Amino acid sequence: MRWFFYFLVGLICLMVQTAIFPRFFPVHLKPDLLLILVVYLGVNEQYGRGGIAAYFLGILLDVYAGTFMGMYGMAFLVIFFVVRGTVSFFNSENPFLLLFMVFCGTLLETAMLILLGGLAKAGDVWLVIARWILPQVLLNVLVAYIIMFMLTRLQRRLPRLVIPGLSRLNENYES
Amino acid sequence: MLELLRRFRRPILVFALILAALLLYSANLRRGGGSTFFERSVLGLTSPLHKLIDVACKGAADTWNHYLWLIETEEENERLLKQNRWLQNELAEVDETRLENERLRKLLDFKEEVQLPTLPAQVISEDASSWFRTVIIDKGSEDGLEEGMPVVVAEGVVGRTVRVAPHQSTVLLVTDASSAVASLVQSSRTRGVCRGQGAELTLDFALRLAEIKVGDRIVTSGTGGVFPKGLVIGSVRQVVKKEYGLFQSVSVEPSVDFSRLEEVLVLLREGP
Repeated sequence: MRWFFYFLVGLICLMVQTAIFPRFFPVHLKPDLLLILVVYLGVNEQYGRGGIAAYFLGILLDVYAGTFMGMYGMAFLVIFFVVRGTVSFFNSENPFLLLFMVFCGTLLETAMLILLGGLAKAGDVWLVIARWILPQVLLNVLVAYIIMFMLTRLQRRLPRLVIPGLSRLNENYES
Repeated sequence: MLELLRRFRRPILVFALILAALLLYSANLRRGGGSTFFERSVLGLTSPLHKLIDVACKGAADTWNHYLWLIETEEENERLLKQNRWLQNELAEVDETRLENERLRKLLDFKEEVQLPTLPAQVISEDASSWFRTVIIDKGSEDGLEEGMPVVVAEGVVGRTVRVAPHQSTVLLVTDASSAVASLVQSSRTRGVCRGQGAELTLDFALRLAEIKVGDRIVTSGTGGVFPKGLVIGSVRQVVKKEYGLFQSVSVEPSVDFSRLEEVLVLLREGP
């Protein structure tokens, strides 16, 4: 059930990113909701199934981003393992943990795309990334904060609603 | 052995998954172009959702523009406001129709200019990431589309189809970093390759001694095997010639405004 929930959320994020965000965000810059979901998986899920879910979300994004199938799949898998592997070194009660992970995840994602793009002869994709990396990182962190803030509010209003991992984070995102 | 596997279960799992992902990525790169069954399935599954969102967004924008701002008006102004609203609505619709007519007329004129059979399509969504430049159109293999077909508008070249599902296709824009179009400078006939840089283009391999000026028009050369000869790509924005080297550095402003793409034409291949 939980994995179906992740798939559904991933699909909704993909639809929002491709069909709704382009109407509101300037040029091509848009928040990477699926990356935020993968970081969230990294904070809350176990290695095996979480890794497979992250890869699946990545190849789902690959269908709608760029032309190299498996590029985001690979990038998301690595991001998941890095987040999963390092999250235990941090204080999970820290309110900025998830935001910090989104910050690092965005940088790691762009590094992976440059690396994998190089293998695929994706041209000067690093130039595009270099031009927009800073606004993209800030946008992702801001959107991650808004999402966490809204989810914790939602969970408080609907006590029966259980969002995995949020019981640990809920106090941190309340004003 | 079993004990060893159990002890290093986690690193083995991580390594195996990353290796499998890398092998799949590599296999896909080696396979070259073409859509996989997975891609066609996802595109097919999400096609109705995209169309639904497109219609809903247009409807919501229409409602917002024409009705919502009038909801809380004073009662004594109700009649005038109703009339105003109706007129505004009519005006907006007329404006929208006029603009659409202008766009379609331009496309129609262009369609008559182009000697190839064409298929009009609507842009329904954009690339999901900030780093790549693709759009989704509402026509697919059921409408006769194949991978590698040129997509154009009246102003010039848009891109080419790279993924085709039964009812929608992905178009790689010429501004994408992985896009390269065989081109020539219209006035001096200097050859080069137009590569995408995200928002603009560069003309690579233009010989340093060739005469290229700011404002010169860049058109397709027809030698790349995808685009027919003579389609407008853009105009020269900047030329940098160094004292040495074989080539000059040329920046090209695309003739198409990619932030306002709505209707496009796909140039179909002529039958045998």
